[in-house]
Amino acid sequence: MAATAGRAPHGGPSVQLPLDDPPSSDPRTNAELRARLRACTVAIIGCGGLGSNAAQMLVRSGIGRLVLVDHDRVEEDNLNRQFFFRDQIGMLKTEALAENLRRIQPDVDLSLMTERVSSQTLIELVRSADVIIEAVDTAEAKAMIMDVCTRDLPDVPLVTASGLAGHGSANAIVTERLSDNLYVVGDLTSDVRSGLALFASRVGVAAAAEAHMVVRLLLGYPEP
Amino acid sequence: MKVDVVLFATLAKYQPDGAGGRHPRTFDLAEGATIGDVIAMLGLPDEPRVIFVNSRHADEGDALSEGDRLAIFPPVAGG
Repeated sequence: MAATAGRAPHGGPSVQLPLDDPPSSDPRTNAELRARLRACTVAIIGCGGLGSNAAQMLVRSGIGRLVLVDHDRVEEDNLNRQFFFRDQIGMLKTEALAENLRRIQPDVDLSLMTERVSSQTLIELVRSADVIIEAVDTAEAKAMIMDVCTRDLPDVPLVTASGLAGHGSANAIVTERLSDNLYVVGDLTSDVRSGLALFASRVGVAAAAEAHMVVRLLLGYPEP
Repeated sequence: MKVDVVLFATLAKYQPDGAGGRHPRTFDLAEGATIGDVIAMLGLPDEPRVIFVNSRHADEGDALSEGDRLAIFPPVAGG
């Protein structure tokens, strides 16, 4: 089955068909899927353990434009799980991440929003996105982002993460659809406020799950 | 009026039957009861939470209606 049916016989609009069985091009780099993803914008709120790793996976997946939101700078203790390098310590995370992403894909379109997110500024920062990723660290900020996005941008999918700390099984990290346009990745309970450490491996599982839910949404699959 | 209430994750233990789990429990509420009234009745902790009614965003001051499905989700920290 072709990924896109093209023009209907009567000359009407093209019809989008499922992409389960893409055409004959190389399935690893399928041009049609990549063209669709290249036209998309994903906003990533927070460029730490979740956001920096999700960003590099989305760029490798062919997303054309990312909006990167973070006010912080790279610190040495970020290097245990975040997609930064030792010589980037002290740089703004948005700028360091942009540098790294452009080493993967020089043509990626990046909008850097170097500011602290608040309930007053959030919507303007992410309004241009087709999908939004919540990738911050505190429970308060996660709740604020979920609250504001589901209230003010109810038609834009929001992919969030909750419960990724500690050395629990990676298999406990799942993706669920909590409401119409809200997805949550994680085990929902393991909390750094309980003293659990953050491991690159488990944070990376959650970041990959967030990135993959975004890819699925952009290809037309709304279920986890 | 009857309203279904779903409490996710760490909030599940606050269901009055003490059985935990995320399946909905049906509450018989006074007409005009708000989401805040349900939160107070259940004694939910003053922690960050996100509220949905019938899968759409809601606020604590919103009044509930017969047949509504109220869901409350508490995000935890880490990223």
